[in-house]
Amino acid sequence: MSVPTEHLLVLSALLFAIGVAGFFVRRNVIVVLMSIELMLNAANLAFLAGARHHASVTGAWQAEGPVMVTFVIAVAAVEAAVGLALVIAFYRRKKTVSLDQLTPTLD
Amino acid sequence: MVDLLFYVAALLSVLCALGVVLSENPVQSVLMLLGSFLGIAVIYLLAGFQFLAAIQVLVYGGAIMVLFLFVVMLLNLGDPEVQADEPLFHGRGRVTGGLGVSLAVLAVLLLASRGTDLTPVDTYLWPEGGLDPLQGMAEAMFGRFVLPFEAASVLLLATAVGVMALAKRQRTPRALDSREAAA
Repeated sequence: MSVPTEHLLVLSALLFAIGVAGFFVRRNVIVVLMSIELMLNAANLAFLAGARHHASVTGAWQAEGPVMVTFVIAVAAVEAAVGLALVIAFYRRKKTVSLDQLTPTLD
Repeated sequence: MVDLLFYVAALLSVLCALGVVLSENPVQSVLMLLGSFLGIAVIYLLAGFQFLAAIQVLVYGGAIMVLFLFVVMLLNLGDPEVQADEPLFHGRGRVTGGLGVSLAVLAVLLLASRGTDLTPVDTYLWPEGGLDPLQGMAEAMFGRFVLPFEAASVLLLATAVGVMALAKRQRTPRALDSREAAA
């Protein structure tokens, strides 16, 4: 595919912004965790856009981008596991998954 | 043709990401997130990252999605009576603040991505197995990146132990005593 790098970065920016909005606006803690996953995915996309750009400018392949993405995927899996275990512990104590029960509301 | 496929996949992933944030039913959110991940996997494949596309489908579309779906089903969150945020946009400070931060981040990222309008050579069929050839990745990971690799393995071990400690049902000392008395 010969899509310019800018379009990949714009897609990554859109996904990241949607993730940020979900992180701040939603109160269901599971949806907040999903928003974090969205942001991590956007970062991965930006890494790979950079790797592709570099490869097509220099004509040589570089390992940094893809290796970084595998580490980000590992950290995302860890984050999902720990986050969901916390959600289960929280639900067991409060019988809800609303963040309002955890923190004071904004208004 | 391949370019058109990119824009279709990009549209799919953005619409599904919006669906994650905007749907009130958590089960629907999880399925939307799955659609978003699959769209991104298609983009990886088109950009020449074949191994990472497979990993994206296996780890994100498989493992992480199952984890989310499992917790949603376990806590019975599809039930409308257990919905945690009804109505969706509640609290003016939270909504305006969240959307403001989101738009600010979007503006900064769009500004930062300007000036990269180079049209790259077609990386879809890059020689030697795409832009993430397994041999090269393995050499880098066990060579220059061996320290972060080992750190990731320690992180995974710590996570396994920590999650078990967190999710284990806490027994109160009294319950233990009564069980011992019964035994």
